[in-house]
Amino acid sequence: MEGHVAGNLGAAALVLLLAFAAWRVRGSRRGRERFGEIVRRRPWASAVVALYLGVALLDSFAWIDAAAPGTVAAPRSLLDRVFPADFGERSYSAPLADAEFYGGEPLAHPGRHLLGTDILGRDVLHLALGGARVALLIGGVTSLLAIPLAIAFGVAAGYFGRRVDDVVFFVLSTLASIPSLLLLVALVMVLGRGTLQVCVALAITSWVGFCRVVRGETMKLRELDYVQAARALGVSDARILARHVVPNLGHLVVITFVLTFSQLVLSEAILSWLGVGIDGSWGQMIDQARDELARDPVIGWNLGAASAALFGLILAVNRLGDAVRDVLDPRTLRERAG
Amino acid sequence: MKRIAAALALAFAAACGNDPYPASDAASRVLYVPYAEAPKTLDPQVAYSVYDHEVIANLYETALEYHYLKRPFELIPALVEAVPEPQPRADGRIAYRFALRRGVRFAADPCFGLGTPGATQREVVAADWAFALQRIADPKVGSPVGATFAKIVGFSAFAERLAQLREREPGFAALRIDAQYARAGPVEGIATPDPWTLEIVLGEPYPQILYWFAMPFTSPVAWEAVAAYDGEAGRPRFAERAVGTGPYRIAEYAKRRRIALERNPTWWGVEHAGAGAPAAVYPIEGEPGDAEAGLLPDGVAGGPLPFLDRIEMRYEKELIPSFTKFAQGWYDRSKIPKESFDQAARGGTLSPEMQARGMRLDRTVMPGVYYVGFNMGDPVVGHAAGERGRKLRQAMSLAIDAPEFLRVFLNGRGIPAQSPVPPGLFGYDEHYRNPYRQVDLARARRLLAEAGYADGVDPATGRALRLTFDTGDPSVQARLRYEFLVAAWRRLGIDVEVAATSYNQFQEKVRRGAYQVFFWGWIADYPDPENFHFLLWSEMSQTRSGGPNSANFSDPRFDALFLDTRARANDAARLAGIRRMRALLEEERPWIEMFHPEDYSLSHAWLRLAKPSGMTMPVHKYWTVDPAARAAARAAWNQPVRWPAYALGALVVALLVPGVVTYLRERQ
Repeated sequence: MEGHVAGNLGAAALVLLLAFAAWRVRGSRRGRERFGEIVRRRPWASAVVALYLGVALLDSFAWIDAAAPGTVAAPRSLLDRVFPADFGERSYSAPLADAEFYGGEPLAHPGRHLLGTDILGRDVLHLALGGARVALLIGGVTSLLAIPLAIAFGVAAGYFGRRVDDVVFFVLSTLASIPSLLLLVALVMVLGRGTLQVCVALAITSWVGFCRVVRGETMKLRELDYVQAARALGVSDARILARHVVPNLGHLVVITFVLTFSQLVLSEAILSWLGVGIDGSWGQMIDQARDELARDPVIGWNLGAASAALFGLILAVNRLGDAVRDVLDPRTLRERAG
Repeated sequence: MKRIAAALALAFAAACGNDPYPASDAASRVLYVPYAEAPKTLDPQVAYSVYDHEVIANLYETALEYHYLKRPFELIPALVEAVPEPQPRADGRIAYRFALRRGVRFAADPCFGLGTPGATQREVVAADWAFALQRIADPKVGSPVGATFAKIVGFSAFAERLAQLREREPGFAALRIDAQYARAGPVEGIATPDPWTLEIVLGEPYPQILYWFAMPFTSPVAWEAVAAYDGEAGRPRFAERAVGTGPYRIAEYAKRRRIALERNPTWWGVEHAGAGAPAAVYPIEGEPGDAEAGLLPDGVAGGPLPFLDRIEMRYEKELIPSFTKFAQGWYDRSKIPKESFDQAARGGTLSPEMQARGMRLDRTVMPGVYYVGFNMGDPVVGHAAGERGRKLRQAMSLAIDAPEFLRVFLNGRGIPAQSPVPPGLFGYDEHYRNPYRQVDLARARRLLAEAGYADGVDPATGRALRLTFDTGDPSVQARLRYEFLVAAWRRLGIDVEVAATSYNQFQEKVRRGAYQVFFWGWIADYPDPENFHFLLWSEMSQTRSGGPNSANFSDPRFDALFLDTRARANDAARLAGIRRMRALLEEERPWIEMFHPEDYSLSHAWLRLAKPSGMTMPVHKYWTVDPAARAAARAAWNQPVRWPAYALGALVVALLVPGVVTYLRERQ
């Protein structure tokens, strides 16, 4: 399957998922209240996250035009189509400049590159916006891999205890005792370069913390009266897990997802800086700009755009994450009620 | 209290000057240069990097050297009386007879007590040359050039005998090194009929062997030094201790801080100054333009070398601080950091401020070439694709704009290459324009259509022709360069994908022959076009022999021309052969020649007679400095700026006063 077709399908699935979530939230009174509460608490952060999400989705739907003869037909996304087809310059140009940065030759699109162009003459604004999709991909795919893993092991360890708990906890402690950055780099070296590979590596290093939380929560749930009652009535373990334990972990999943998301995006930036990241990410733009800062005169727009985009997303997601935790976590709910 | 005030005053006075050197050196002819990387070894048979040779070239000498001023490079006799002529023998072997210069002595060193008790010096004899060549063969020494000298008759056999003896006889490896070599027996093709004659016999014609006698690998070495400096019982290793014949000797060797070289008082050029040997005096003539460049001033030509009393090399890991110290006058010569390039030397000329300070920009084209190569063993782009492959390569060559590549990525430091042979070498033709190295997209598209890939569409798949660009450098910086190439090919409708893997994985791909398009470079060992053409010789093919012909180019016509031109002197027939090879490569396109790299360095006005070379050769003995001009410039450029100190002092006082006032008030 072609890459862009998979991208389209993934994006479509995401849209459907979002629509389904919205429908469910609208459907229940409690859902509407909580969603309204989150937005009320963090209006700006919500808007920014929605904006990033929108840009990322725009960049996710791509198709190939009937190729003009003698050109390589490449898929262009909705975002790409916002910019003119041939928007490149020959090399660096400053934001809104009329001439090239070095040499001063006239540009093909004078005054139209809001954030300038990079060494290959590509529009920096376009590159920075394109990074949103990669960030979303990293956070999304990694969470999809890590969360089921963490739930499976955490629930098993917390519910069955004893030997299972020993084994799971041994694995957790072992993974946690390896410096995560070293482990990440080693994993990428072993798995090879590529988006999925980096996500797998990130998932392997990031599920540990969440697994611990799930384990603790399950241990608590196991002792609750209704679980004990179900057990006394002879209900099978599988049924108890499915009916009573896992559904009660829902709020944890949402909170962890939001909080690890920004962590994952940051980790990828560090990986990119070490030369093993994902193509088109902000981290890679920052890596690319490494020696531009030492130039004289300085070229700062590349680094600035990528850093600002990264910073904006992470700040907004973290702010939103706080609100999500406050609203969804039963403990904070109880505190507020009390 | 008084003492504190005095100490403060002293510290303040010291802070006012930034002179890192002792004042006593200000008036002497000392050269100050930075070095970014310490030499890995001073062992002349092992050292191969530029950083090693920069130091070694002053300490050891070779049989032949390059003429300091003339270009193309010309060999002159150094430790020999004359450049030897090849003497063909009846059995097809070729002999070279070196008449060694008499009265050449190793620099004074206590190690010579090993041979004659109490001796500190010894004359260089033919046996020392043979010893050096035997060391190249010795597998334990680890010389990187053993394969080249294997052309000497019996060279490999000697290495095998030595290895066998070491393996079989228990006590052999503990013997002194000269005894080991004596037991292993002489190399058949190395003879020393008398102490001042060295004869080497090659199994096949290889005129380029003489260039190897201009490189430190063949420098004569004293067995006493190798035996004495074995790195055991507190003795230094031979790699850290130089006992050579050069014009300089080591005064201090603190690799991570400072390397200081001083005049060798017993250098043969000084002791036999009257002889006027070419390598011991400043040249009388150069190439056109040298006189105008101030390289042949009156009173210097024919004068005895060396001019400098001392060479002070300081370790500077980072280029930017090193460049700053150069700008302040503390170094006499410097490279230009990439980052400061646009400020210092835009468009190939110096900035007005630097010109006003009398600085000089030396540009020299390195004897090297960077190219995009096709793997000719590949079924799509290689030999197997026949005419289609050739037209595809021609079309791809026509799409790449080398001048633009140089401008974007290298600040224009380099000249676009038209053929593998770089400027300064025999066979380079500055008027030659390779018809496939000019951008012509219309013609490229025509060729592509003729190759059966109309508009870049591969008839087999009905889509854009898909090729892979393989690289072992996954860094973003490298990736940008390859994106430039890929973008150019996209304009033809060819879809080239960059496959960046780790270097090991790339090596593995190369070993298996599973690669299509790649980017590579080569810097010459010696100034002869053979050193470039052999990169395309089928015998050197990467997949067949693991040689440096990474393009796996294999063409009997080229091989015949290569073997013919290799064995010839630089005559008209050789030139004609080189032209024919050029025409062949032009048509076949195993390479898309990109550029010959250019080296930019800056010198101060007081550094004189420094001609850039680009080759590894002894240069410092020809250089000189004007200490008076340097001292004046340093004084003028390093006026202390005192106001920040005063401002800081005022700030401290301002911060203290309220405290003191409060304290006094409280006490009352």
